[in-house]
Amino acid sequence: MKQTSIIVLVLFAILAACGGGEAPLPESYETLLKGGHVIDPKNNLSATRDVAISGGKIVAVRENLPVDRAAKVVDVSGLYVTPGLIDLHAHVYAGTGIPGVLTGDSSVYPDHFSFRSGCTTLVDVGSSGHRNFEDFKDRVIDRAKTRVLVLLNVAGGGMGVDGEDDPADMEPEKIAAMAKKYPEIIVGIKTAHYSGPEWVSVERAVEAGNLADIPVMVDFGGNHPTERPIGQLFLEKLRPGDIYTHMYSGLRLEVTDEGHINPSMFAGRERGIIFDVGHGGGSFTWRVAVPAYAEGFPPDTISTDLHTGSMNGAMKDMTNVMSKILNLGSSIEDVVRMSTWKPAETIKRPELGHLSEGAIADVTVLRLDEGDFGFLDVRRITRKGNKLLTAELTLKDGNVAWDLNGRAGEDWETFYAREENRADR
Amino acid sequence: MRLSTLLLGVLLLPAALTAQTYDLLLKGGHVLDPRNGINAPMDVAISGNRIARVAENIAPTEAKQTVDVSGLYVTSGLVDIHVHVYTGTGNKNSYTGDRSVYPDGFTFRSGVTTVVDAGSSGWTNFPDFKDKVIDISKTRVLALLNIVGKGMAGAEKIEQDMSDMDPKATAKRAKEYPDTVVGIKSAHFAGPEWASVDNAVQAGKLADLPVMIDFGNFHEARPFQELVLDHLRPGDIYTHGYKVQVPYIGEDGKLLPYLAQARHRGIKFDVGHGGGSFSWKNAVPAIRQGFWPDSISTDLHIGSMNAGMKDMTNVMSKILSQGVPLYDVVKMSTWNPAQQIKRTELGHLSEGAVADVAVLRLDHGRFGLVDAQRARVTATKLIVCEMTLRDGQVAWDLNGRTATDYRQAHGLM
Repeated sequence: MKQTSIIVLVLFAILAACGGGEAPLPESYETLLKGGHVIDPKNNLSATRDVAISGGKIVAVRENLPVDRAAKVVDVSGLYVTPGLIDLHAHVYAGTGIPGVLTGDSSVYPDHFSFRSGCTTLVDVGSSGHRNFEDFKDRVIDRAKTRVLVLLNVAGGGMGVDGEDDPADMEPEKIAAMAKKYPEIIVGIKTAHYSGPEWVSVERAVEAGNLADIPVMVDFGGNHPTERPIGQLFLEKLRPGDIYTHMYSGLRLEVTDEGHINPSMFAGRERGIIFDVGHGGGSFTWRVAVPAYAEGFPPDTISTDLHTGSMNGAMKDMTNVMSKILNLGSSIEDVVRMSTWKPAETIKRPELGHLSEGAIADVTVLRLDEGDFGFLDVRRITRKGNKLLTAELTLKDGNVAWDLNGRAGEDWETFYAREENRADR
Repeated sequence: MRLSTLLLGVLLLPAALTAQTYDLLLKGGHVLDPRNGINAPMDVAISGNRIARVAENIAPTEAKQTVDVSGLYVTSGLVDIHVHVYTGTGNKNSYTGDRSVYPDGFTFRSGVTTVVDAGSSGWTNFPDFKDKVIDISKTRVLALLNIVGKGMAGAEKIEQDMSDMDPKATAKRAKEYPDTVVGIKSAHFAGPEWASVDNAVQAGKLADLPVMIDFGNFHEARPFQELVLDHLRPGDIYTHGYKVQVPYIGEDGKLLPYLAQARHRGIKFDVGHGGGSFSWKNAVPAIRQGFWPDSISTDLHIGSMNAGMKDMTNVMSKILSQGVPLYDVVKMSTWNPAQQIKRTELGHLSEGAVADVAVLRLDHGRFGLVDAQRARVTATKLIVCEMTLRDGQVAWDLNGRTATDYRQAHGLM
């Protein structure tokens, strides 16, 4: 055998030992999540894997990674390891002191809710418009540890005191210009709460979306089944890839009075419209969700519509909303996809929502409890369920941002027995 | 009227009078009400925003709504006497702004109905705090005024400015708002002087209110023992009770004697967990040797919320983990703090009291509780908040216990 052939054979052997085509294993890594069940829908992975993290990136997701290369090993056996959750519908333009609106006191600060529920990315959907986005950015986005992305409201003042009903304040060029100025933050356009029977808010939002080449999310506002039915919205007004939120609200005939899903919903899905939960304080009812789900209409994306009116009611937090979909019958893999890769794709941020080697190390470790749980809806109806998801651990850019049971910590006796930890500091 | 009709009427009268007397009945729970010495299975009836009756076996027919809380503990709404909630000002890196949190997002889900902001504001900016946060919150927000006029507007300079520690102005402001201001706070003071502590105590004397001390940098020129034995008055509060700098254990391995003297004087020791003020190194030996906290509090702010502290029930679980009975843990989180801030109308379930109620679940399992250094104690019990009532209204309901069952609502059962 020639020498070159031998070298080729040896190289093949090395590659095979590395798992066939995988990059060589790093010599060391900062953090190793050991023994968990990884669910990474983008990579069609649902299996026991270890996850190694260094420098804020995922460096390896493989079976039986060596622990001696890790500076810190965190035992996550019995738990699910997923990409950091992406909540596609939140309101976090807080801190302006303006009472009673989502450009102020009705919003919440992102870090107060995100990590403890496994979220590493929140998308603020339309709290700000092109006139106050930069204030929002300065006041909240730039100061948050959570990754905050934004859909700009079609109304120039967002969900502020000027309201969202004035067509004169819906200026697609200005909206698109602001979106293009901050492409790293602004990922779409929102129209919401439009009360009239006209299409103007939807049409201008789509126009802005076309100009900036970003998707539109619709909260369909007042119910006008004759003048602007959802079927027309899905088939004529929106583009494939645009998002219909509050899908289980029942406020715009998503389910008929007879309790069956509106065929327009299927037609919209067929055309590529994305259906988002957007739970909120008034937009998730079992009356709608149960038959819609049973008749074959699960969500594309799971989101909270977090704000002060939803946080303490039926919504609570992201893992609670995910648990509702889980108890409707979705698999854990599907629920994770709806909360990670699918929303990332929807907002065209494919660098997020997965655990590919080299990806940003936004990671969530979830516990799935079995028991007797009750899940409220916005009409104060409780549906029983036997599964509950809880965020055990959240990493943002590789750093521990939430650690429910101190899994990344160390036993106190061994910790304080070490000389360097004895000093009074 | 015939006699039989009259008789019937008389017989029906008590039923008619008692029928649906109560708006809400919490049925089957175990009541922990240390103010009234109750530690027993009891039902709790609520009318309007008041506790109407606490007794064994109150009939569901007497209530418009009955909620099954069997297997759970019913307590007074928790009182967290150390939080920072002066947010929404846009001030960066300060507790008069971004380092504080809005209360309602943290309180009810952890059983808390009353918080005491511990010195985020001082006499100059308290009215702004009241306007921006206190008045718009559903949580009952009380306040300790910082002895520094500008409050916690900046630890490096503003909170070190001894010329801005004005006992008279502070006491005057406190007296203007007796419904809200319940004490004086000194905190974050770095220098060797006693000015911050002594001016706070002076303001406390003028306003007849207790003082809470965060001792700042533990400076050798002002020993901790002198603080609790000489400078503070009986009823004053030392917070950050298990901070690593507090001297607890002597060379003999036993509690230092000054601690008992301080307690005997009436100094109150508050947990004030925070981001860096709770160390197992102190908490474990101190509690196991009997030095329990008088009050349990969180020191809630952005630096503690996502770290070892997390929330009120988590901090309570830490004290529970060291062998303190649940009854006493509840006392430290309700009636004790209410007394410390002289708000004795709070923190108990006496008939006629305001219907602030927490329903707690005690889970058994294996739980990790970490301190500020991420050192972990493994506990077998965890306190979880199931339900919170504020003024008789449902403010949190983890498992939808107060709502209509889906199957019932849709005729499926």
